[in-house]
Amino acid sequence: MTPEVPAEIGLTFGTYEEARALVGTRTSVVFAERAVTGALIKYFCAMVRDANASYWDEEYANQQWGGVISPPAMLLTWVVMPEWRPGDPSPAPMLLGRVPLPDPTVISVGTDMEFFVPMRVGDRLNVEETLVDVSPRKTTSLGEGHFLSTESFYRRGDGTPVARYVHDLFRFTPA
Amino acid sequence: MIPGVDYHQRYWEDVAEGEELAPVEDEITYRRVVMNPATTWDYFPGHHDPEYAKAQGQPTIYINTMHFLGFIDRLATAWGGPASFITRRKMSMRHSIYAGDTMVGQGRVVRKYTDEPGGRTRHLVELEITVENQDGQLCVPATVHLELPARQAS
Repeated sequence: MTPEVPAEIGLTFGTYEEARALVGTRTSVVFAERAVTGALIKYFCAMVRDANASYWDEEYANQQWGGVISPPAMLLTWVVMPEWRPGDPSPAPMLLGRVPLPDPTVISVGTDMEFFVPMRVGDRLNVEETLVDVSPRKTTSLGEGHFLSTESFYRRGDGTPVARYVHDLFRFTPA
Repeated sequence: MIPGVDYHQRYWEDVAEGEELAPVEDEITYRRVVMNPATTWDYFPGHHDPEYAKAQGQPTIYINTMHFLGFIDRLATAWGGPASFITRRKMSMRHSIYAGDTMVGQGRVVRKYTDEPGGRTRHLVELEITVENQDGQLCVPATVHLELPARQAS
C-alpha cells in the first residue's frame, strides 16, 4: 500500500541523479511571517509539560535573558510559512520538498542543532537551507529509499546568528 | 514567583560527572499527539492522520521531532535550571513513539568542561539522554551540551 502524498507536503518527484545534481544548492533566505510569540510558547510548553521559568515568568525572563525566550525545540516553528495567502495559494515548500526523488513519503531520522543565542519573544527569524547530501538507494526496515541531509542557518533580523541545524531524513517507499 | 513554575538553579561547580537526571514518564494520548501540529505548526499527516501513518507502515500516528526535542530539552533544563542554555543537542530516531505509548526520559552527566569561543569562558556539561517507550525499547538517544551559570566569576 502506497500512501497518497497530500498536496500540502509538496514533495517533488524525479530521479536520484536529478537529486544528486542539487547537492550544494542553497535556498534564498526565507523570512519568517511572524515573530516569536509568547502565547505559542506557552501552548508548546503545556504540550511538553515544561515548567521552566524562562518560558512562563516574564519578570524572571526579563532579568535573565532580556525577555521571555522560546524553547530551543521550537526553532523550526518560527519559520513555518502560511499555507495560503491571498493571490498566492502555494508558497514554495522548504528545501526538503524540492528534492526530486521517486519515493512518496519521508520520515526524520536525526537532528543536530547548535544554538548561539536564545530566541526571544519579538525576534523575527530568517533561514537559509543547503542540501548537503543525498545517499544512494538503501533498504531499511521501513522500506527502500534515500537518506537526505540538509544544513540550515537561522538568524535574527539584524543578522545575529541564532542556530545551525543539520537535519537527516529518509525519503522512502514503504516496505 | 509563579506557583508551580520551576526556578531551581544548578551551578556548574556543584555538578559531578556520573550524576543522574530525574527520570520523567509521560503518557502519550491521541490528544497529545494532535497537540503536536497545533503547537508546532508541523502539519505532516503522520502526526494527525492514522490512515496516513498506516500507509507509511506505522501502527498509528506518532509524535513529531519537535515533541522529542522539547522532551529532551525539558529533562536537561529541568535538571540544570532556568538559567541554563542548550548550546548543542544531537539526537537520532531509532523508533517512534505512538499514540497510546508512554515515553520515558532518562539522563546522566558524562562530562564537565569549559571552552572559550570568542574569548568568553563557557561552563558546560555534556548530558547523555535517552527516550524509551513503555517496553524499554530505545527510541531516541541524544547528547545535550548545556551551559550552566558558575559561582566563580570567569
